[in-house]
Amino acid sequence: MSTDYQIKSNAARSSIINKLKKEVAGADYDKLPEELSYQYQQLSKTQQVEQFIGHLEANHAQVIKLEKQQIPQVVSEQLKQRGIRTLLYGMQAPHSAQMAELDSYIHAEVFDFNLAENKEKLFNQTPAGITSSRAAIAATGSIVLWPTETEPRSLSLVPPVHMVIVDAEQLYANFSSLIREQQWQDNLPTNAILISGPSKTADIQQTLAYGAHGPKELLVLLLNA
Amino acid sequence: MAAEQFDPNESKYAASARAFRDNVSRDLGNDELRDNFRGAMDYLMDKRTKAFVDGDELETLREQCKLIKQRCLLKLPHLLEQLEENLQANGIQVHWAETITDANDIIAQLITEKNGKTVVKGKSMVSEETALNDYLEERDIECLESDMGEYIVQLANEHPSHIIMPAIHQNKKQVADLFADNIEGFKHTTDVDALIGEGRRVLREKFCNADVGITGVNFAVAETGTLCLVENEGNGRMCTTVPDLHIAITGIEKVVEFLDDVPPLLSLLTRSATGQLISTYFNMISHPRQNDEKDGPQEVHLVLLDNGRSQAFADEELRQTLQCIRCGACMNHCPVYTRIGGHAYGTVYPGPIGKIISPHMLGLEATNNLPTASSLCGACGEVCPVKIPIPKLLLRLRKESVKPANDETTVMKGEGSGRKKIEAVIWQGWSLMHKYALIYNTSMWFATRLRKLMPKKVGVWTSVRTAPKLAPKTLHEKIKARNKTRSAQQQNTIATQNIGGK
Repeated sequence: MSTDYQIKSNAARSSIINKLKKEVAGADYDKLPEELSYQYQQLSKTQQVEQFIGHLEANHAQVIKLEKQQIPQVVSEQLKQRGIRTLLYGMQAPHSAQMAELDSYIHAEVFDFNLAENKEKLFNQTPAGITSSRAAIAATGSIVLWPTETEPRSLSLVPPVHMVIVDAEQLYANFSSLIREQQWQDNLPTNAILISGPSKTADIQQTLAYGAHGPKELLVLLLNA
Repeated sequence: MAAEQFDPNESKYAASARAFRDNVSRDLGNDELRDNFRGAMDYLMDKRTKAFVDGDELETLREQCKLIKQRCLLKLPHLLEQLEENLQANGIQVHWAETITDANDIIAQLITEKNGKTVVKGKSMVSEETALNDYLEERDIECLESDMGEYIVQLANEHPSHIIMPAIHQNKKQVADLFADNIEGFKHTTDVDALIGEGRRVLREKFCNADVGITGVNFAVAETGTLCLVENEGNGRMCTTVPDLHIAITGIEKVVEFLDDVPPLLSLLTRSATGQLISTYFNMISHPRQNDEKDGPQEVHLVLLDNGRSQAFADEELRQTLQCIRCGACMNHCPVYTRIGGHAYGTVYPGPIGKIISPHMLGLEATNNLPTASSLCGACGEVCPVKIPIPKLLLRLRKESVKPANDETTVMKGEGSGRKKIEAVIWQGWSLMHKYALIYNTSMWFATRLRKLMPKKVGVWTSVRTAPKLAPKTLHEKIKARNKTRSAQQQNTIATQNIGGK
């Protein structure tokens, strides 16, 4: 049975759609003008990596180049520097197995619980989280997150420090080329996210401040660069 | 057409828009406010300039994005149907509303069905349009703004004065005072990091406990059934990740056809708005929580609102208003906005875009002062990322607002409401005078000869200027006289040449 507001909504739908259709009846969609896009200068892989790092650093992110086997050591060092002893990570990510090799000083915990019953824990007892990434964009210094059931989306959002592993082999020139090459239109996940720095705001007197609501720090661990 | 009957439940913004002239006098006299706006606009204009170093790229992108938006508008009804179909296939429920009250009602019922008591809101100008916070508060649902600027504005019991930077009218000292008055245990400081830290502390607690998240939408992709959100703070992600229920609300013009349309629009949006190459977060939502996922809302809803947009859509010229992607560049570059500030307009959307969109939402009767509050300098049209010819539309709205009653065509609610008999008579006289040489010359002859009778004070005009003085002779007379002397001189020259000839 439809409720009152659903009936109203259906009526509104017909009214809006009919009004709009009346105005564009007979429009010839084959005669639309061509939409030219700007041809950007092609950069070499090295230049793209430089561009990517440059933009991220300009946006207050920290970028560390490393090899895959160095992940446990670098993660341990970085956490130690910040006096952080707890790290949350996802299951089945390429780096998940390596979390067992972290310094014994650090308590690494896997995100295998539902957020709903563990909000307090995630909001108040988790100083850092580490995630993988699906791709990266050179032109804007963006990292693409493609959260799954094994690597939930709040892992990159709630803890004040977000570490993210980016593979330079997965670097694309710009957002358009990434969407096209990976055919995003066919397989978008629940929530895809582009991240281009730590959370920030300039809402008070145009003064930039980091750590508005999301992570205060974004640490990018860049492989194969 | 005379002004139509207005809904007794009309938006509260209609009343404040009617008070435009009083609002302007009030705000022009506020030096602190003017300083705040001047500083903010200089900052934003500078940021935008630096974000577009390559003029060719900017112009190509503007043309491309204008065409994208025009294509999507031409296909709008079909894209809305496709969007609905794909969102539903993805598990996102779609609702439609023609009026602000209907939209609020849908949202209130969705919340009540889930026994929701507390709402956290991401930034949404459409929900400002519907005055959603007031509506929910009246129904005992706590509705907290979580964008830092919106949070400040809500604490101050105000409305956003800018669509991108809602609290731009306040400086850090004013924010500090506001926090001191409203947040228990806040230690007064004007350090911005500390102020943001305080906001973060208060709001994270709210994110953690809220039942519902409400946000706007920057682009709704028909092809994939995806809702895109642009933001820097992470509050949009919080609102769409932590609570069990996510309700998005947007205007029907926000739909784009392809996912491929998004990157150029996004690039122009963030660069035009705040000079950023891209925002910190770009959030693309295509489903509610899936089977084994550990977070994200169980239910996602989208409310599509008309509120006057279909009226703008019906006229091909005015339809261009709907190309807007809400970057705010037009207000940042507007000499009027910079001086009177965002609140003087009395509307949800201030500045040039506000002047051309508000008449469709509130009717021209309430807003016919707005299109006249422009020097027509053209800056808004020049910086608009989707090339909306704002100055041209302002002229068009001026015309609609003084449309004669015997004009049969109906374009918009409240058309003709700004027509004054005396003004119409004066213009008719003006037109007659310029049509017939005899009337023109005679009246000009009299005007110049009687110039001593001109009053020294001409109402408001002379409050800041000296009264104009007519010349003793008309330009026509002077030219005639000059031509006479010249031809006499020429005759003399020819005569002299002839003498010296042989």
